[in-house]
Amino acid sequence: MTGAVAPVDLPTTTMGQRGVWASLRKRPVFWICSAVLALLVVVALVPQLFAGLFGQPDPRACQLGDSSQPPSATHVFGTDLQGCDIYANVIYGTSTSIFIGVLTTVLCLAIAIVLGTIAGYVGGVLDRLISRLTDVFLGFPFLLGAIVVLNSVGGRSPVMVALVLAFFSWPTMARLVRGAVRGVKGTEYVQAAQAMGIPDSRILARHVVPNSIGPVMAIAATMVGSVIVAESTLTFLGVGLQSPSISWGLQLSNAQSYFSSAPHMLLFPSLFLSVTVLALITLGDILRDTLDPKGRR
Amino acid sequence: MQRSRLALVGAIAASALAITACSGGGGDTDAAASENAISYGTTDPQLLIPGRQSVAFDFNMAVWSPLTFLNNDGSLDYVAAESVETDDATTYTITLRDGWTFHDGTPVTAQSYVDSWNAVAYGPNAMENSGQLANIVGYADLNPAEGEPTTTEMSGLTVVDDTTFTVELSGPDGQFPLQVSQAMTAFYPMPETAMDDLDAYNVHPIGNGPFEIVDDYVENETIVVTAYEDFAGDEPTIDQISFVPYTDEATAYTDVLAGNLDVNGVPANRLTQAEGDFGDRLYSFEAPGISFLGLPLWDERYQDVRVRQAISMAIDRETIIDVVYGGTYEPATAWTPTIEPGTPEGICGEYCEYDPEAAAALLEEAGGFEGTMEIYFPGGGGLDPLYEAIANQLRQNLGIEATIDPSADWAEFLATRTAGDIDSPYFSRWGALYPSQQATLRVFFIQGGGCDNCIPFYSDEVAAAMATADADPSGDGTAYADVQELIQAEFPAVPLFNETYSYVTSERIAELVTSPVGNPTLREIVLAD
Repeated sequence: MTGAVAPVDLPTTTMGQRGVWASLRKRPVFWICSAVLALLVVVALVPQLFAGLFGQPDPRACQLGDSSQPPSATHVFGTDLQGCDIYANVIYGTSTSIFIGVLTTVLCLAIAIVLGTIAGYVGGVLDRLISRLTDVFLGFPFLLGAIVVLNSVGGRSPVMVALVLAFFSWPTMARLVRGAVRGVKGTEYVQAAQAMGIPDSRILARHVVPNSIGPVMAIAATMVGSVIVAESTLTFLGVGLQSPSISWGLQLSNAQSYFSSAPHMLLFPSLFLSVTVLALITLGDILRDTLDPKGRR
Repeated sequence: MQRSRLALVGAIAASALAITACSGGGGDTDAAASENAISYGTTDPQLLIPGRQSVAFDFNMAVWSPLTFLNNDGSLDYVAAESVETDDATTYTITLRDGWTFHDGTPVTAQSYVDSWNAVAYGPNAMENSGQLANIVGYADLNPAEGEPTTTEMSGLTVVDDTTFTVELSGPDGQFPLQVSQAMTAFYPMPETAMDDLDAYNVHPIGNGPFEIVDDYVENETIVVTAYEDFAGDEPTIDQISFVPYTDEATAYTDVLAGNLDVNGVPANRLTQAEGDFGDRLYSFEAPGISFLGLPLWDERYQDVRVRQAISMAIDRETIIDVVYGGTYEPATAWTPTIEPGTPEGICGEYCEYDPEAAAALLEEAGGFEGTMEIYFPGGGGLDPLYEAIANQLRQNLGIEATIDPSADWAEFLATRTAGDIDSPYFSRWGALYPSQQATLRVFFIQGGGCDNCIPFYSDEVAAAMATADADPSGDGTAYADVQELIQAEFPAVPLFNETYSYVTSERIAELVTSPVGNPTLREIVLAD
């Protein structure tokens, strides 16, 4: 759940520093995660290149007569209840899942940076207002809220699901940004810039935002993973994506009833889901560790 | 958690599970008494009484006895009635058997029936099943279009003596004896006390059937009924039935598999595995239910009859039945389910047979199909696999860009369909309460028949033919073939399947007995030794 992205101690170093990259590139896990993610991103961008690898390029070419077949030479991952090739579906599902994960996170980041910066930099009444607003959203049970909203909207396209997820996920990140901005605001170079009479907009753009965004990026990587899980959870519960969308959550949801008779229908989408989420969360952890060596436990 | 534990405790207590190895401690007298008891999985009914229930058919058929009972071979038995006779198919004389009593000891008289039917039909009582009585003269007086009714009695009902009364129908109807059969619960009798306080009666229903309710009904708790000692009809084969409520049918299914529950219906998504799980303890009963693919006849793309026929021919019913329904359904070949007597099997002919090439050619001849198709159906009910399969076949066989579009819930679907606000094929099915072609044809093809816009094809010609067939005194249903021919020529929808209702039983049940309404006849259930 995105709600589970726990507020963390904020790293004080920033992405731009040379030491970060040097430390990152020495860690093999970083390279493994990056390679896995790079591959998944390529798959997501051009699924048609990969889907055809085993001779079944069309995820919607389904022969009902071939229903629920176990993996074979023709269908490497087997077929689902409708007789569709599971491999092609999993490949096309990557697109949807990663699209939703990235779109939601970008939306959250955008809201969080704007609101967090205002709250952290301007302070005063605005800070209190924004902070209470995030409190209200954090106090709302995420799953319940998402189910209610998704049940009341009409067509549930990937964009709609991403919007709903973003609607409930931005507050955690906004708090992080606010904290980071407050930290940077107190530094001497910012105070110096203020003393020199440089306009606030320029201080924000040149000094505050670039220096506070680094630690947030680490959390964002973790968040993409959480969002993908959240989308699958909602879809599994029947309130997320709907056919004709192709997504891992939808495949899991369709396969659950037939688990005892055709477990392969459940296995492959969940395998891809787990690997993707594991890679994203590990990457987020590594980034955080590197940015904040003191925070390692 | 609390609820399911209660349900489980109830099931265990009532059915005295045959897990002999686990039943520690002797001298348990309850266990001996309930050896002839079974437990039966249900949805929590809320409404129990005959005029209002919608998911308590099995409870009703246990606690009440119908006037007539239709057997599997199509013959009609008289249960609470001694005879149902007519000379002109318009006025029926019902003679009751002597000596029948309600569970509270009061006698069942002709007056009980007349009072009950009046109470059910009385508009302000807002009884859900009152429509079953709509053909009786005077029904309209109790249900005026606006305002309060000026009378509380239907003029078509006349008490002759204690055991005889007459029913006058608004038009000749040879199927009336079937309309008072087992599943038409609105025709069940209620004792005099019920009429004073219908809400209290719903908590503790009193009927004239083989079983009486033990305790007051409490929501989401097991309902236990035991054999009524002074029952005047045939003695049931079991002493006690516990109706155990489940919110998830899949849980109930698993409980039957584990032996914690004796009988339960099979949820749609377990049909494919039920035979493997239960073998010959899976019963699929032929039922008077039929599925169509409804077509939006108000959309100009569906005006050409060839388009409608092409859609029908592009659907591979056999394979869908095998994959989605575990082979338990039968492809429809007529406009009513085969179990309804006199159904002209095969009237649909080649148009109900899978022939993708011919379908594509026919569509081509009709000028093709423009735009997309989003098959609309109630979401959340496990119907997705069926409509996804149909959409895939239409896409692959006819080249139509077909997808599925489940509604948020049943209420939304119903409102949309009733308003006729759909531009794609849609869900359309009906399970009749008495196996007569009349029951199916009336709801689908007579305006206001009960399934609005299920098949939006209402013509005076069909209505006239229906009236003629209804009046046919033979009552064997052959007269409805003429109606079906009119419909076949127009081909207003796509006949899909004759439905079956499937049940699984624990090892304690030797044989589950059914009747043509598709439900098990619990009072005739055969227990294993």
